[in-house]
Amino acid sequence: MKVMQMLKVSMVVLFLCGGLIGCSTTPPVTQMDDQAKVTQADMSQQAEAKGVDEGAVKSEAVPSHDAVAGLERIYFDFDQFTLSADARRILGENAKYLNANNGLQVVIEGHCDERGSDEYNLALGESRALAAKNYLVSLGIDAKRISVISYGEEKPLVSGSSEEAWAQNRRAEFKAVH
Amino acid sequence: MFVRWIVLLVACCALPWSVRAATEIEISAPGEQSIPLALTQFLPDQGPQSARVAAEINEVLNADLDLSGLFRFVDPAAFLDDAGRISLLSNQVNFPQWRMLGAETLIKGSYSLTGEQLVVEARLFDIVNRRLLTGRRYVGEVKDVRRMAHAFADLVLKALTGEEGPFSSRIAYISNQTGHPELWLMDVDGKRPIRLTDHRSIVLNPDFSPRGKEILFTSYRANNPDLYRKEIYSGKEARLSYRPGLNVAGRMAPNEREIALTLSKDGNPEIYLVDISGRVLKRITDNWGIDSDPSWSPDGSRMAFVSNRQGNPHIFIADIFTGKAERLTTQGKYNATPAWNPKGDRIAFTRQEGGRFDIYTIKTDGTDERRLTFGPGNSEHPRWSPDSRFIVYSSDKSGNRAIYVMRADGTGARRLTTLESDSRHPAWSTRW
Repeated sequence: MKVMQMLKVSMVVLFLCGGLIGCSTTPPVTQMDDQAKVTQADMSQQAEAKGVDEGAVKSEAVPSHDAVAGLERIYFDFDQFTLSADARRILGENAKYLNANNGLQVVIEGHCDERGSDEYNLALGESRALAAKNYLVSLGIDAKRISVISYGEEKPLVSGSSEEAWAQNRRAEFKAVH
Repeated sequence: MFVRWIVLLVACCALPWSVRAATEIEISAPGEQSIPLALTQFLPDQGPQSARVAAEINEVLNADLDLSGLFRFVDPAAFLDDAGRISLLSNQVNFPQWRMLGAETLIKGSYSLTGEQLVVEARLFDIVNRRLLTGRRYVGEVKDVRRMAHAFADLVLKALTGEEGPFSSRIAYISNQTGHPELWLMDVDGKRPIRLTDHRSIVLNPDFSPRGKEILFTSYRANNPDLYRKEIYSGKEARLSYRPGLNVAGRMAPNEREIALTLSKDGNPEIYLVDISGRVLKRITDNWGIDSDPSWSPDGSRMAFVSNRQGNPHIFIADIFTGKAERLTTQGKYNATPAWNPKGDRIAFTRQEGGRFDIYTIKTDGTDERRLTFGPGNSEHPRWSPDSRFIVYSSDKSGNRAIYVMRADGTGARRLTTLESDSRHPAWSTRW
């Protein structure tokens, strides 16, 4: 306690000292001191980003592949790319259809629900499409007839942020390649 | 606190000149200290008056310095006559007047307009020690006024903390306001957005090259998720990696000679190193699961990434040279989007908890995990400012996804983009 009081007293003394010395030793500030600290920056020398010339580029809309009536889509659980019993049954039906339509080339699109990171979902969609492709190949479909593409969370089947919407969006679709 | 005072007073007493010489104020975390700042309106010097120029400078400085969390603004309504005088020299400023208002720092300035030519003089004064801390003369055009003010905000932070602010950098992001997800670029306060791509397809995952001159991104323009690079100044664009399957999450190494990239060419998403022409140099990951979303350590020796090799997605850190990977996150069932900070000591990421995503940071040794956001909605995709002071991210807490910025401790969050369209996946450039 006593130590604290002594410290407090000495602080006050020190404070006064400091204040006095501080004042007494402040040299007059000159214009030169200021000017030495002020430098010039030429903003017009900095390059600016080049934006799109509006309307200059005309590119066509993304060609979408056609759904095939005989090929049913399959669904996945959250953050999973393993095939459920139901998905295997549907893939079995799809394999029969592909066998019956030998000229048909298909692309399997892998999709995710909107939750999770873009990068991870792109990988997850790819893994879903590959799981479906590998199963079809195991059922005897020629791997050359099947390509895959992942759209991650970019092409939801239904909009909305509900369990029902998410469940419908976690899917693999089978489209014809022309 | 008590000890700090004694140290300060002893230093004051013994070395008054060295105290005046020490311009830097030690600030380790935003919000730890707040310096009373008087920010005055810049005044017309030569040429006509422009309320717009003065207002834009004031708005930018106010927003940038407020976001820094270092300042407490003195109410401009209390300003006295010195605020209305162009007194830009330390022997002209009425310091006692400012001291009386409780201010310890003061920003004053002037502008001169000649047609479209604009010269802005900006000064930061230390009121307590009655001296100029820093000043700059910005020469340019009226359209450069916001950049001038951002540049001065950077300088103010440098003068007071020793580290420059990030306000002259840019944020790239994906917005669907044209009807397609395209690549956009904006200032760090969300102003001056410009569109960089016109692919009318799906453009995704932008990331800046370390020197900020290029942006890597993925686009479905050629009906496959291919990796592109784009020069920001010339607008030139090239397709870099277009192997069948994924060419996503491209991140340029600090040396700008290698790119970490997720490819699925071998039948499973794995991370590879490719050179700047897209040729594979090395495979980093090799296992049955998903490996994606790499983020370089600032020295380029390690890489944080997401993998579900142990079941759920978690953050791992791989050594680039040995390929050896160790798990970083131990909590939660879904951890993703790692972002290594430029300082090198922390990694930001998102975790799904109770069906929602929030942003966390963790030290690179897996200790000191901190949660930064607490809903509502999902907060995702954190990226650090070049000075590691701030984090930019996307959130759907107000409806459509929008880009937000907050301090690295989770405080001071503010929205940068409008809610009229969907904006996401921000990336923060280095200083321009």
